[in-house]
Amino acid sequence: MPTERLFSTANRWFRLSVGITAALVILTALGGFILLPYAQSDLKVAGLWDAICSAAGIPKLTSSASSVQPTFKTSDVIMTSAMLANPSSESIGRGATLAQQCAICHGPTGVSRADSPNLAGQYPAVIFKQLKDFKSGARTNAVMSPFAPHLTDQDMVDLAVYYHYLPRLPAYHPTQKIPAPRIVINGAPMRGIAPCGSCHGGLDNKTGSPWLEGQSAAYMKAQLRAFADGARRNDISQQMRNIARAMTAEEIEEAANYYASQPPDEYSAAR
Amino acid sequence: MLNSRRLILAHFWLAFAVFGVALVLGAWQMFIRSPLHTWISDPEWYYRSLTAHGTVMGYVFPTLIAMGFGYAISESSLKQPLIGRRWAWAGFGLILVGAVTAMVPVSLGRASVLYTFYPPLIGSAFYYIGVVLVVVGSWIWVALMSINLRIWKGNNPDTPVPLAMFANVAGAYLWAWTAVGAALELLFQILPVALGLKSTIDAGLARVFFSWTLHAIVYFWLMPTYIAYYTIVPRAIGGKLYSDTMGRIAFVLFLVVAMPIGIHHAFADPQVGAGFKFIHSAFTAMVALPTLLTVFTICASVEIAGRLRGGRGPLGWIAALPWNNPIMLATAFSFVLLGFGGAGGLINMSYQLDTTIHNTQWITGHFHLIFGGAIVIMYFAIAYDLWPHLTGRTFDSFRLMRLQLWLWFVGMIITTFPWHYVGILGMPRRMAYFDYTDPALASEAMSVTMSALGGFILLISGALFILILIRGQRSPAMEAEEYRFSMAVHPPASVPVALNSYGLWLALMIGLTVTNYGFPIAQLALRQGTSVPAVYIGAQ
Amino acid sequence: MSEHPTDHAATAIRAEKNWATIAVLIIAFLAGMAAFAGIHQATMPQARVETADPTTLHLSGEFVESNLGSALEPDGSVTVRAIGQQYSFTPQCILIPTDTTINIRATSADVIHGLLIQGTTVNTMLVPGYISVQSARFRKPGEYLMPCQEYCSFGHEGMWGKVKVIDKSEFMAMASKQERLSCVK
Repeated sequence: MPTERLFSTANRWFRLSVGITAALVILTALGGFILLPYAQSDLKVAGLWDAICSAAGIPKLTSSASSVQPTFKTSDVIMTSAMLANPSSESIGRGATLAQQCAICHGPTGVSRADSPNLAGQYPAVIFKQLKDFKSGARTNAVMSPFAPHLTDQDMVDLAVYYHYLPRLPAYHPTQKIPAPRIVINGAPMRGIAPCGSCHGGLDNKTGSPWLEGQSAAYMKAQLRAFADGARRNDISQQMRNIARAMTAEEIEEAANYYASQPPDEYSAAR
Repeated sequence: MLNSRRLILAHFWLAFAVFGVALVLGAWQMFIRSPLHTWISDPEWYYRSLTAHGTVMGYVFPTLIAMGFGYAISESSLKQPLIGRRWAWAGFGLILVGAVTAMVPVSLGRASVLYTFYPPLIGSAFYYIGVVLVVVGSWIWVALMSINLRIWKGNNPDTPVPLAMFANVAGAYLWAWTAVGAALELLFQILPVALGLKSTIDAGLARVFFSWTLHAIVYFWLMPTYIAYYTIVPRAIGGKLYSDTMGRIAFVLFLVVAMPIGIHHAFADPQVGAGFKFIHSAFTAMVALPTLLTVFTICASVEIAGRLRGGRGPLGWIAALPWNNPIMLATAFSFVLLGFGGAGGLINMSYQLDTTIHNTQWITGHFHLIFGGAIVIMYFAIAYDLWPHLTGRTFDSFRLMRLQLWLWFVGMIITTFPWHYVGILGMPRRMAYFDYTDPALASEAMSVTMSALGGFILLISGALFILILIRGQRSPAMEAEEYRFSMAVHPPASVPVALNSYGLWLALMIGLTVTNYGFPIAQLALRQGTSVPAVYIGAQ
Repeated sequence: MSEHPTDHAATAIRAEKNWATIAVLIIAFLAGMAAFAGIHQATMPQARVETADPTTLHLSGEFVESNLGSALEPDGSVTVRAIGQQYSFTPQCILIPTDTTINIRATSADVIHGLLIQGTTVNTMLVPGYISVQSARFRKPGEYLMPCQEYCSFGHEGMWGKVKVIDKSEFMAMASKQERLSCVK
């Protein structure tokens, strides 16, 4: 075969392929960075350089248009999957001391004899967020609200990791196990209700969502109703109100009774 | 000359074994989300199955086919024993280990993130490590193909590289470069988070990296099919290849334009500038060129066969074609499906039309039609064509093969046409169940049911295919003649150096990657404050 | 075929070249159509990239919950702000007037979601860290479904929102009483 040089302007293939490719790049770039921005009616272009920058994807600062502020206190906690991931034993110890004042309602082992939430083995992010919200006033409760203002951020972390550290015990009033109702395993797609289990365990856990097995049915019903009618609004961006509003009274009943009847052991064993 | 038969057979058998498993999962998914079944009691099982199906069908199955076929092409077209056979086995081993490593966490429900990964959802690190091992195994094949060709060229300086090998190595280089996008995403973004070294990830950048791989991977899947069109079909039906040069041009064009177009998958993404969307849209149109050239050359080649067999008149040659030959049948089916799939692809490449169907069931219908239809049906043909040469045994039943191909063709149409239709109605993809009792969705129920039935037809066809291969290994031994590829009508005495080497085209491929991807990636990677917290899946 | 091999070869090359020209023309035509439609019809890619921190959407800025929903702008257009999160949109039901330019501004608070209004060309990804902007216009009153179109983990199948298009005058009457509107009951 003749030893023709490939990367040389004398080679027709080289000239043609590089020429066509370069022409296409230039042509499409002109179209994309100049023609297109000027053709976009919703884009107010401030000159050629601005047109090129916007088409290239240089981010703009978010619009400073004034936003409507809430008339009520919303949660100001920043939730991430990494929060409170590695508690120190010191922190747990301090939490144990602090928790003595909580035992009257939440039980010495973190399992309530009243209809207060069981906290033993609960996710730390959940407990921390609710304490923060009680303190800020995003969530109010006649019993809890007076306690929270005295807690520092570190106190709340300590309490959260201490209760998380406690073993998950069966509730005091376990009823007979009920089979999972449809709302828990399938939700109601057309009403925008995902399965309860996709956030609250069973399927998966969403950061900030508690696991619910063995909680008091009365407590869960009350909270769902409070979310539904807007009495409780500390869920970030309405994530729980969206669901509770769409649930029927019967579904609230079924879901609460189901979770109340579930032992925590099976829940942890399933994972 | 097929010396490494065990190696090649191992690749094909593993490929078709995992294909069979993934096919069962696919049919199950079609059934479970159709009105034929009540809502699955644990939607996570659906996503688990979907992750396994996509990972196997997208990464493992076609890669093994390309590798096994590539080794066969190297030996038989160059008439040179495979150099580095032990390395080839090592690559095979890596794929096997990688597939198992990835599938264990998937089957345990620890990595139900779907094969597209899409962070900030993060599954078990072993899933991603497994996928990386599969890719690394395939890179060994890329290197071997390159080395084998280089050594052959050194020994045969004056002979043009046979078209089959030329195309095969083009496919290998395409894959090597296109896999880099997902590899960067996996190694530098996802794995550090999955291993717990970091807790935030830039989801927008990850989508751009993935788009680098996501589109060109289709052309990697397509390569064995196109190689079969050019170098198997004309010979198998008793004709000649119309043009060797056009084949070379088509393959180098794929090399250049398959890659820098992936952002059309991100038309609806907020993190990519409109200018780059426009550029990628325009370049996506270019990728139709090699396909149109191929359609012409293959139709002309088939016409030659028809006329050699006595066909006359403008259309008479069609009737004269050897329709009893499974390869002929598969090619015709593949072309029909490619035509429909290509028409759908033209809709996806246009920003304006894409907004109607983006991420609806249309998209799943589309790539099943292209990949499952046009591409995989030629994988069947390749296996049917190669099997006697690999096993040294005759195939006894062409009838069974024709039945299998018919079932696949009909099944694919019944599955994908209604699938496209519900996509136009706006049915979102990747949902474990739908409420068909709702009046707004009731009109979709019939179509989804048809798709599910089509899925079962495909399942039957797939089972039949495996049965045929097993029978092929048990039939009486025969004297295997030499495996050869199609001759061109005018075999090239010499080929311009540009069409006998890759330097120019690789330079253009990388150059276009830099112009079309360089800025968006650099910009997203350097931008501060857009990393978001990871969301771990299945981690309680 | 063997009589004049060079002639045959030349004929073959001519036919190839003709076909290649046709193929290029087909592609040029299609690309031209796409460009024409892009410039002369409403649907255009998002003009500017905008960023938003998904973890602090609820603290300040345009995506605080009281600012979500439909807002009447001084120029007569309507801006719809929405959030996608596991596993719902906020607001869950979006209220839109007929015959009005609608600018949808949406983002994700956690993972990748999609926002698709069935039967329309409204279809965009919600990528955490970025704001998606799309404009639309609705001619007739009616109700539309708005599913999430990208897998967002195990509750994805339950993430369906709604869009309600009402008569413009009715919307304007409501907008004079309330700054942010939605059809959430």
